[in-house]
Amino acid sequence: MIRMVLVRLALTIPILLGVSIVAFGLMRMLPGDFAEAAAGTTSVSAEVLATTRAQLGLDRPLWEQYGIWLKGVLTGDLGRSFATKRPVTTELLPRLAVTAELTLMAGLIAMIIGVATGLASARLRGRTDWLVRGWNSLLLAVPNFVVATLIVLVFGLYFPMIGIFNYVPFAKDPIGNIASLLLPALSLGLTVSVTISENTRAAVLEVSSQDYVMVARAKGLLARTILGNYLVRNALTPVITVTGLQLAALLGGSILIETIFTIPGMGQYLFDSVTRRDYPVIQAIVLVSSTIVLLTNVLVDIAYARVDARVSYE
Amino acid sequence: MSDAPAPKKHHRGQTMVFIGLAMLAVLLLIVVFGPSIAPYSPSKTSPNSLDGPTAMHWLGTDSIGRDLLSRLIVGGRGTLFITFVAVALALAAGLVLGLTSGYMGGKVDLIVMRILDVIFAFPVFLLAIAVVAALGPTVRNLILTIAIVYTPAMARVVRGPVLSVKRWDHVEAARSVGVGEFAIAIRHVLPMVISPILVQTSLILANTIFTVTALSFLGLGPPPPDPNWGSMLAEARQFMELAPLTVIGPAVAIIFASLTFIVLANGLRELLDVGSR
Repeated sequence: MIRMVLVRLALTIPILLGVSIVAFGLMRMLPGDFAEAAAGTTSVSAEVLATTRAQLGLDRPLWEQYGIWLKGVLTGDLGRSFATKRPVTTELLPRLAVTAELTLMAGLIAMIIGVATGLASARLRGRTDWLVRGWNSLLLAVPNFVVATLIVLVFGLYFPMIGIFNYVPFAKDPIGNIASLLLPALSLGLTVSVTISENTRAAVLEVSSQDYVMVARAKGLLARTILGNYLVRNALTPVITVTGLQLAALLGGSILIETIFTIPGMGQYLFDSVTRRDYPVIQAIVLVSSTIVLLTNVLVDIAYARVDARVSYE
Repeated sequence: MSDAPAPKKHHRGQTMVFIGLAMLAVLLLIVVFGPSIAPYSPSKTSPNSLDGPTAMHWLGTDSIGRDLLSRLIVGGRGTLFITFVAVALALAAGLVLGLTSGYMGGKVDLIVMRILDVIFAFPVFLLAIAVVAALGPTVRNLILTIAIVYTPAMARVVRGPVLSVKRWDHVEAARSVGVGEFAIAIRHVLPMVISPILVQTSLILANTIFTVTALSFLGLGPPPPDPNWGSMLAEARQFMELAPLTVIGPAVAIIFASLTFIVLANGLRELLDVGSR
């Protein structure tokens, strides 16, 4: 087990390095002078530019710049924001917490909807199956920002008394905070619920045809007992895996959802930074989110192997 | 996974592909004839701003009185053009990389797949935003970005089946009678892996519609005044309190376009019997 974890982690390191090179390269790919971008305007004197360059270490060879940057990243220094001149790490962390909460809630909502519809579709078959699959196809076609816009339209315009559009910080009012995130999480989770629903359906159908379920049925166990003890438990493993792998989609979607619902999370921070051309922040967010996604994938793999003895990475 | 007998499934796949193709035809008509079908010029302003649907303006007008139906039709042209060209590029790159990597195997495979793994590690939409933000939101940059972002997914789908097909007897037979490696890859391996590629291409087309419209929604699409669905939805959202119905047009257009490719993908999957994912 420990060996498997180490192997899996070792395989991730080169990819993480590649990701860091891409994130670093993105900053150097910018058209024009990086020092000018850092100064925020093109009309600065030559001396100012020279100082900025020296400060940022732009006068050194590229590989050295990368080395210095990577060393900083590993010690938690993600550079300074062009706009506020404050360290990116201090600005990013509280926003990351908000996004984590939103993503987690969206994941939970997606799982509840997905497992329920998938289970219904696999067990009831017939018209239910047909309905669920049609609903899923339709849902898959509605991007999350369209869902969010429509939700804002319906609730903001026709039910304005439900004041759910003002984000409430968790420290101020935990229950109000969760309530204010419900609709954003729903719009974020709906698309993901489709993948979970389809996988639940497939997993339940597969487990239903296994010998042990047939034996349980032949023994005369109640349908409810079979469902609870055999089907759901065994079908849920792949479902949890799939949910974990949807994290990338959730993180990507949070940019749109946070912008629409004005939630002060990482996504909105990225959006603001893009409009302000605050490149260190963009770079940091790209790096941090990809790392989170990669590490989650490793965790999912490990958890999967731990639950299912048939999986091996040797 | 379905318990339905094969012929029924086949029949259902056929119907879905047919519906998908009909929807695709509508989209293609918009791309080709967009400006000539539109009832007004998409940039012609009028004093009736933020009108609801009327006989003159079927979908109403925007904040400076431009006809929304015309903007939707012409905007669809822009959105779909970027989508089609970007996916075509990703398909071409994915085919070359996946086929080379899968067919040659060994070191080439290892290097190509590791590089693609790095791109694959980024959340697609996040990478797209970062690249477009760095390069600047022009049509060319959007197309390039989206092509790069979706190449790994395409290459993986090509590579997988190539790995097994290249060991099949007919490939061995071709090699034994002296057919060149390049000709074998193109003529004897590629045709065998075309089904999963078709399904994947439709799915990526649907995803690309999402990416393109979402980027424009955030203001990272092709620069104004050219209309496109994403920025139209964003604009409609701004004036939602004054003209709530203007949201419907772009929303329905985006949903229709992605639904086209999802129906097509599902239909092709059942028709060609491609294992789901």
